[in-house]
Amino acid sequence: MQRALPMQPTIVLLKEGTDTSQGKGQLLSNISACLAVAETLATTLGPRGMDKLIVSQRGEAQITNDGATILKLLDIVHPAARTLVDIGRAQDAEVGDGTTSVVLLAAQILKEIKGYIEEGVSPQIIIKGLRKASQLAIDRIKELQVTVDKSDSKRFRSLLLKCASTSMSSKLIHSEKPFFSEMVVDAVQCLDQDDLDENLIGIKKIPGGGMTDSLLIRGVAFKKTFTYAGAEQQPKSFKNPLILSLNVELELKAEKDNAEVRVEAVSDYQAIVDAEWEIIYRKLQAIEKTGAKVVLSKLPIGDLATQWFADRDIFCAGRVPAQDLKRVVQAVGGSVQSTTSNISREHLGTCGSFEERQLGGERYNVLQDCPKAKTCTLLLRGGADQFIEEVERSLHDAIMVVKRAIKNGDVVAGGGAIEMELSAYIRKHALGIPGKIQLIMTAFARALEIIPRQISDNAGIDSTDILNKLRMRHAAGEKWVGVDVDGVEGVRDNMEAFVWEPSLVKVNAISSATEAACLILSVDETVRGPQSEQPNPGPRAPPGAAQRALRGRGRGMPRR
Amino acid sequence: MAQPQHQAVYATDEYGRPFIIVREQATKTRSHGVEAIKANILAARTVANIVRTSLGPRGLDKILISPDGEITVTNDGATILGQMEVDHQIAKLLVQLSKSQDDEIGDGTTGVVVLAGALLEQSEALIDRGIHPIRIADGFDRACKVAIEQLNKISEEIEFSQNDTSNLLKCAMTSLGSKIVSKAHQQFAQIAVDAVMQVADFERRDVPFDLIKVDGKPGGSLEDTTLIKGVLIDKDMSHAQMPRSVKDAKLAILTCPFEPPRPKTKHKLDITSVEEYKNLRDYEKQKFADMIKMVKDTGANLVICQWGFDDEANHLLMQSDLPAVRWVGGPEIELIAMATNGRIVPRFEDLTPEKLGRAGIVREVSFGTTRDKMLVIEQCANTRAVSIFVRGSNKMIIDEGKRALHDALCVVRNLVVNNRVVFGGGAAEISSSIAVAKAADEIPTIEQYAMRAFASALDAIPLALAENSGLPPIETLAEVKSRQINEGNSRLGIDCVGSGENDMKKQWVYDPLISKRQQYLLATQLVRAVLKIDDIITAGGEEE
Repeated sequence: MQRALPMQPTIVLLKEGTDTSQGKGQLLSNISACLAVAETLATTLGPRGMDKLIVSQRGEAQITNDGATILKLLDIVHPAARTLVDIGRAQDAEVGDGTTSVVLLAAQILKEIKGYIEEGVSPQIIIKGLRKASQLAIDRIKELQVTVDKSDSKRFRSLLLKCASTSMSSKLIHSEKPFFSEMVVDAVQCLDQDDLDENLIGIKKIPGGGMTDSLLIRGVAFKKTFTYAGAEQQPKSFKNPLILSLNVELELKAEKDNAEVRVEAVSDYQAIVDAEWEIIYRKLQAIEKTGAKVVLSKLPIGDLATQWFADRDIFCAGRVPAQDLKRVVQAVGGSVQSTTSNISREHLGTCGSFEERQLGGERYNVLQDCPKAKTCTLLLRGGADQFIEEVERSLHDAIMVVKRAIKNGDVVAGGGAIEMELSAYIRKHALGIPGKIQLIMTAFARALEIIPRQISDNAGIDSTDILNKLRMRHAAGEKWVGVDVDGVEGVRDNMEAFVWEPSLVKVNAISSATEAACLILSVDETVRGPQSEQPNPGPRAPPGAAQRALRGRGRGMPRR
Repeated sequence: MAQPQHQAVYATDEYGRPFIIVREQATKTRSHGVEAIKANILAARTVANIVRTSLGPRGLDKILISPDGEITVTNDGATILGQMEVDHQIAKLLVQLSKSQDDEIGDGTTGVVVLAGALLEQSEALIDRGIHPIRIADGFDRACKVAIEQLNKISEEIEFSQNDTSNLLKCAMTSLGSKIVSKAHQQFAQIAVDAVMQVADFERRDVPFDLIKVDGKPGGSLEDTTLIKGVLIDKDMSHAQMPRSVKDAKLAILTCPFEPPRPKTKHKLDITSVEEYKNLRDYEKQKFADMIKMVKDTGANLVICQWGFDDEANHLLMQSDLPAVRWVGGPEIELIAMATNGRIVPRFEDLTPEKLGRAGIVREVSFGTTRDKMLVIEQCANTRAVSIFVRGSNKMIIDEGKRALHDALCVVRNLVVNNRVVFGGGAAEISSSIAVAKAADEIPTIEQYAMRAFASALDAIPLALAENSGLPPIETLAEVKSRQINEGNSRLGIDCVGSGENDMKKQWVYDPLISKRQQYLLATQLVRAVLKIDDIITAGGEEE
């Protein structure tokens, strides 16, 4: 904010319409913006969190509880608030879960700090204090975390189940937690345990049926592709077939688009026609010779080839989506061929059973018992599209959590327990530090309490009451006590109640929330070009006009 | 910070200036908290009320006029909702709900929407009392489990075999009872049962619907609807003088045009002399002769062609006594091939006697005084393909007839897949409602209220049935309910047709168990999704 003296002549330094705001005012307004965003998200946290229905400009609706998705759909343009969107997204990419917590935490840190900024504490000192506090918190998590013995596979599996079900507790599929956590853990354990590429878990959505009609297929399933006449005459189920994956178009067509044949004499005419047929037949014969019983291709397989295969009891499917074909190849072995010549046995894959199956209103091609079964497919069912999409997002989070848990196997108790413990620890530690940093660290400790507070608020329990109980019990050394939304007491030992989360989720959440808060605090000036004032699509009005129009309605940044 | 209800995100800085956080902030609207939930419930209830009156045998139809003036008369829930083009997001969810019931089960699409509407109506009262929406949803889930257990308990297995289909017939008749075809429902039910029996695979308990083709033509009356054990195609012989029927037909099924083959590569033939021209002419003529010869050599006496052929070819075919059908679409070609055990042949050179399809009789039929003709292929080698030919006085009736038939087919299929049934006429709902209400009393937490609400919501179906049948709804329900409890007979339902008999087993009103189960599950899930939303952020339209 420029505090120009009344008599000072205005010096035009930047382009007209450029908005510059700076100083403490700017810092505070950035903080307010972040708080406003976080407030929208707050109600989605915890097992009694609510969903948001967001309708886009084109009238498409999304119902979701996933923090990262909500932030994306909100379409935030405020520069400081976008930082929050980015950390949400980063958390999603890095650990896949805890996206709401990270945003809430960042906003809460800012809120606690706001008072100190107003009082004129230098942002640099605050940043230093926050960094120190977050380091303490992370060290403490590492100290407290419980490592689970991976050698006992049964116990390890139950740990994974618990992590998965904690991640699902706030979602729509809450009531079917046991069912879906089994499914997710099975899916992740199907994968190659060394690299755990979650892209190899295919998710297919089939509207219809109840959620519990969802299926896990240890293998690949993909929707029946568009077929030509004759496909129904092909056999639909095989035992131990050889599978050939192609990237070849099997259709009677011009070999080269821009070629032209000049026919000199009428007698040559038939020869050319025959030659074309010869080309496609030779391809088909080459395929038959390989002994493959299932032929899949990324490119179309025409009616001629379909019928030809039908005559020879071979199944074929053209236009298989690239992603599906890739997973097929990974599951059954072999490789995608770009030509039909010189195909030998090692280029073919195989699987225990191949089948075309009716699932809901659609037919699916299902390959099971694959020798290299490092892939699996989740077939999700549900009453409506938005439903299934939300199930998919929830499962994605759970899959990521399970994957993280397999990778390092350390867990902490969820439901606000670890946050309360950290808060108590930092507060105690801060008392030993002289100077302003002490205040900052206590503020950080207070900010951590937002997670249990919000969980209880959302559940309709008296949060102040709960927090006092939690503080008391943590002070008494019960380090895993957290919020219990179901019980009468309101608090319980969440380690024993099996509300477990991978510690990595928390470490990452705390460090990125702190990073984001520090970033926002270190900005004290925004310079925006006049262009970015009007980011909405459509014919752009001249910069001045847009400014005036906006100002006329009482919104937008005033020019300086 | 001021928080006007109608704005998406609103914040001011220290100097009271509002600032933009969200793109197009000004045009976005937001509703929040209880207000949002209430608005959603209202929308869902409105939709449910629309279809409510078409429930049951005395349910009434709706007339829907599409933007381009096409009229649909129906009482099929999924169709009504699908064509209404609702705009509200929650209402859209209901539409999808009934669609997914339709896809999965094919019947009970109205019931599921009515149930969901009733559940939401009940939850509104609970929210007013200050119960957390998610606890309501949790309670509904528990109640739903109880209700489904009860359904399993009261369900009965019905016996049927390929020779004795009388029980299936009764179920099909229940499903057809509420439709426009009810005056011919005996016949329609018989058709549906016969069709399914024809194509069903009893070992795998699978009914491939692809093999049942439903076609219709205006004219005649609903009673003229027939089941054809074979294939029916809306085509006629290519030449008026070709024979009207072919006995012991051997069909050549071709996907190439009846004309000289031409290369797919772009080509150019320069005709420079008269000689050349004559050559070309001879070549073409020769080709036609060859083609017909090749077909004749295999012993075929009927040609089914996916593409067309010009008048010259037509004439030649006529002269060589080879009846032909042209422009038969891809799916129909496939159906014919399957029905006649023939192979689809892509070019003349590949024709062999083994690839021909066989049918006992292929005949052209014409209807009334119109000149419309259709081709019927009967006594096919493979008896599993059937066609149902629906007749009716106008297109609307035929379309509704087709939909009714589809529902009946689905019911029969579901029974072939799983032969457990529950009793219709609201009997299953009343029985579940009693069970849920009883279970509710044993629960110490707030969910108890939600479960009671679930029980009252289940009553909505018998209530609507009674209301639509012109009976005093509450009185009737109360009477049946007390009789169910006193007599311990879960088969008592609403006597919609006024026959004086409340025992649904005696009235033969059956519903497949899986259909009812699915209704409960889907409705409960939807209600959970709706209750869980506490925030609606809507972007403004494109224009400001």
